[in-house]
Amino acid sequence: MAEQTEKAFLKQPKVFLCSKKTGKGKAPGKGGNRYFKSIGLGFKTPREASEGTYIDKKCPFTGNVSIRGRILAGTCHSAKMMRTIIVRRNYLHWVKKYQRYEKRHSNIPAHISPCFRVKEGDHVTIGQCRLVPQTNYQFFMLLDIQNMELTSFCVFCRPLSKTVRFNVLKVIPAGSSGLGKKAFTAM
Amino acid sequence: MALMLLVFRYFSGFYAQEACHWRQEEGMEEEAKYLNFALVTAKLSDYCVLSNRYELGRQPANTKLSSNKTVRRVRVRGGNVKWRALRLDTGNYSWGSEAVTRKTRILDVVYNASNNELVRTQTLVKGAIVQVDAAPFKQWYLQHYGVEIGRKKKTAAKKEGECAGSLATCEEKNNCANYIYIFYRFTGLKETETTVTEEAKKSNHVQRKLEKRQQDRKIDQHIEEQFGGGRLLAAIASRPGQCGRCDGYILEGKELEFYMKKLQKKKGKGASTA
Repeated sequence: MAEQTEKAFLKQPKVFLCSKKTGKGKAPGKGGNRYFKSIGLGFKTPREASEGTYIDKKCPFTGNVSIRGRILAGTCHSAKMMRTIIVRRNYLHWVKKYQRYEKRHSNIPAHISPCFRVKEGDHVTIGQCRLVPQTNYQFFMLLDIQNMELTSFCVFCRPLSKTVRFNVLKVIPAGSSGLGKKAFTAM
Repeated sequence: MALMLLVFRYFSGFYAQEACHWRQEEGMEEEAKYLNFALVTAKLSDYCVLSNRYELGRQPANTKLSSNKTVRRVRVRGGNVKWRALRLDTGNYSWGSEAVTRKTRILDVVYNASNNELVRTQTLVKGAIVQVDAAPFKQWYLQHYGVEIGRKKKTAAKKEGECAGSLATCEEKNNCANYIYIFYRFTGLKETETTVTEEAKKSNHVQRKLEKRQQDRKIDQHIEEQFGGGRLLAAIASRPGQCGRCDGYILEGKELEFYMKKLQKKKGKGASTA
């Protein structure tokens, strides 16, 4: 299976895969068991989430996060990370002395579920969720004090986290917009 | 800010482990408790000082597989209690598709997705794959279905009540069915003869119940093989360092295949290097 990419078996914890009773018919078309939920606030669960086969515990539709708090919108600034993107929100800040605006932007990292396909420049709606670790691990070399030798296995990993607070809820693909990233569209 | 707290917590655990790992072995829990607290509020570096009790971390339990069961009580925030299992050897394991749970001995830690060291040191953690004694499940199966799984299929006569129902209703296309069929054809015995002579005194009611259950009875081939060996692969689903128990579920289906493949790969590697 293409989705078993990790060292541990990936599965949705609420779905019991080995039940002897054949599926009651959530009818995702494939006849498989899949857990998905509606996140409320008028957001539609994408078809890919309910019918797909990916496993993502941080997905708002098929995983263990709930969307609550703020809903923001921005454009996708970079999509180079695995399952997370940087969302850029542009805004204008009033400078009182000169009675003018100045351009400012802020970058927000957001987790993106595999049910969305995002390119740079797409408009994206993100919702606040609990802190979701996006971990890269830093490996420690453990120095054994008693024997003064370097035991170089990774006993203890400290995650270099981006702890991400947002999750992508909706993607509006930008057509072939001429300027793409460079254009400043104030929100 | 929350990020910093996480980091500090990890760091405090790290240093505590390094500095007083010998204390763990002596098992002086009282002192260790104070040591933890003292370390936590100490200055770790120029700019990180942990000044609050809620920022503390404790040493990991590293529950080992061992026959003298040791579980310690820890008073935690709010006056609540955590049960820190230091050594365990039994757990409550459930066989999901049959919906049975039995207390069994844990025999061996076999795979850990995060760290091979934990396998080598036989550490019980949530998510580890272990081998578990199959006997209680075998007994249950025998009682529930009247069938002994895991018996070698040498002779058909040994398979007492393997097909308690008639061949026609038995849906399994196993070696079993063929064997019995061939046996009966060859010897000219009728099915009813052998079934009557075998089991002692099952009442009519019980026999009818058993026959009815035979219809739904399906057993995965991999699991059957494991019963033959007396050990089942199971995954730990509880957190022994928090609740003091090592409970879990028996691997089945796709999950079982996945982990069996991983184990074979490991064995293959070991065999080639050795």
